[in-house]
Amino acid sequence: MLTINNLHASIDGKQILNGLSLEVKPGEVHAIMGPNGAGKSTLGYVLSGRDGYEVNEGSVTLGDQDLLGLEVEERAKEGLFLAFQYPVEIPGVSNMEFMKESVNAVRDHRGEEPLSSAEFLKLAKEACKQVQLPLDFLKRGVNEGFSGGEKKRNEVMQMILLKPSVCILDESDSGLDVDALQVVANGVNSQRDGERSFIVVTHYQRLLDFIKPDFVHILANGEIVKSGNASLALEVEKSGYAFLGKELEEEVEA
Amino acid sequence: MSQWLNGVIDQAQGLNDYLAPMRQQALTQLKMQGWPSPRDEAWRFTRLTSVRDRISAADKQSEAFAVPEIAGLKPVDLVFVDGQLITKLSDLSLPEGLNITSLGTQEASDQEKVSRLYAQVKPQRHLFGLVNDALCQQGIYIEVAEGVSIEQPIRVLNLATADLDAHTRVLVNLNPKSRLTLIEQGSGEQASLTTAFSEYRIGEEAELEHYRFALFTGAAKQVGGSHFSLESRSKLNSTFVGYGSELSRLDVDITHAGEHANAEMNSIYLLAEGELFDLHSTIEHAVPNGTTTENARGIVGELAKAVFNGRIHIHRDAQKTLAELNNRNLLLSNSSQIFTKPELEIYADDVQCAHGATVAEIEEQALYYLLTRGIDRSKALVMLNFGFIQELVNAVPNESIREWLLPLLSDRFARMEVK
Repeated sequence: MLTINNLHASIDGKQILNGLSLEVKPGEVHAIMGPNGAGKSTLGYVLSGRDGYEVNEGSVTLGDQDLLGLEVEERAKEGLFLAFQYPVEIPGVSNMEFMKESVNAVRDHRGEEPLSSAEFLKLAKEACKQVQLPLDFLKRGVNEGFSGGEKKRNEVMQMILLKPSVCILDESDSGLDVDALQVVANGVNSQRDGERSFIVVTHYQRLLDFIKPDFVHILANGEIVKSGNASLALEVEKSGYAFLGKELEEEVEA
Repeated sequence: MSQWLNGVIDQAQGLNDYLAPMRQQALTQLKMQGWPSPRDEAWRFTRLTSVRDRISAADKQSEAFAVPEIAGLKPVDLVFVDGQLITKLSDLSLPEGLNITSLGTQEASDQEKVSRLYAQVKPQRHLFGLVNDALCQQGIYIEVAEGVSIEQPIRVLNLATADLDAHTRVLVNLNPKSRLTLIEQGSGEQASLTTAFSEYRIGEEAELEHYRFALFTGAAKQVGGSHFSLESRSKLNSTFVGYGSELSRLDVDITHAGEHANAEMNSIYLLAEGELFDLHSTIEHAVPNGTTTENARGIVGELAKAVFNGRIHIHRDAQKTLAELNNRNLLLSNSSQIFTKPELEIYADDVQCAHGATVAEIEEQALYYLLTRGIDRSKALVMLNFGFIQELVNAVPNESIREWLLPLLSDRFARMEVK
């Protein structure tokens, strides 16, 4: 589904990713954990094609497409979805108008008929209820005045409506209390259908109690230094990322 | 001095018609003012070199032209092609109370009416207005009788199709309690020079819904103006839309000549790569109790230049004036330029006035967010950055014009590059 091979990327001349490789198969959930500054958010930005991030080396394929050769909006149409850690507020553009435009752009790319306003409203209302946001959030400006938790739920709502094939959740747990975390996790879990894949980027293990990963990877200094199953996350929870330093040192010594 | 202006003066001296006294006045002014220097405040940011040395290349208008349609509007069209009125006024069937006369009229009574408006509302300081006074032989006089409301809009079109100098004039006389919708529309893209000036006298309690669509592009040069005199309790609602070209300049004067008049003026300019648009407006509050709201909003593309000078002058006696002036701009590139200068000049003490100007750039983060959701770049740009323009389009009173303008402008914006 998504194959990242030896990815090197920099911003403003500063090297952030240093040879990251990851293979995500359909239906799999991969958690990526790591300390601050490891390059966790950069991965999402590079995969989505954000301006300013430069890929120096390596390749990424989505299905049989060269992902890095596509524009930002084309990547989204091909089924890549990035749930942001800090979604931007856009006053003046209604959430509803924004999501309808987005859903119809993706539908058009798939060769499907655009949804009418009435059809879209019906779907949007259902998704809104599913992430437990009041319906008037559809009418408000995109993320305008939303709390941190409401913004995260709005991201999950978009994911539900867009039906992407690969979802990257960038610290979707940050700043959430347990109830909000549960809502976000339920939203994500409802979209696990054996085909859709997830990359869950998180600093803490807590989110992984709610979204069970198939694999856990530790990202440090821009590359994956350790991979394992869900128990690796518990290990991190117990002893922090301090062991990384030791292991890296040991590797060097060996 | 300018070779072109010398030619204008020579040519005007040979004109000996019923407008000759006004032409002579204009010539005297022109000779006195001379060609503006680059330091001249009225032309500080807009260079006139291309006109100064201009020699028009064509000797006749081209035969092909198309009248642009506005779906659903069904106006009375009065069409000038390269400065020649081609509409046969005698063929028009006009409603009772509406009178349309050509400037070339032989009727003494009509000539007298024209003389009472010609160069009377437009101030004498506009260089090209004086040129138009001196040379214009093609024009229209429109009068609406007292108490008559004309439902069908009148549209005056200026189409530039050949490299000629075109000078046209529109004179509108609204008698008390009358009502009219009038559209001035101009377009053309090949080298040419159009000076199109209009003067409006809006009588007591009369209402004018006015539009000026200055859609010249490319090498077409236009320098024109719309000038209004408002009698007491009259209303003016005016919408200007400008594209840019090699030289595109409009001067607007609105004079509150009677008390309790209301003027609303909205202007939109959308400048694509390398274009220039220059809008100068002057609102004169000469009497008390007048109200003016002016909004000018524009988007300026790569290497394009917009000039906005909005002046509100409140005279000593003009107490209880309410006046607001606002200019908002969006620049699409580091090479886009806007020179904006809102000016309030107030000599009365009991007035409410506000003015402001803002310049914004594209918000990259918001654009990226929309792109990550699969929305195409041009669509995303329109969604994010067109709202402030759309607000003014939504304020257009005429529904057909609104529905024509919105896609016209959003498509033009969507085609502009962001750099």
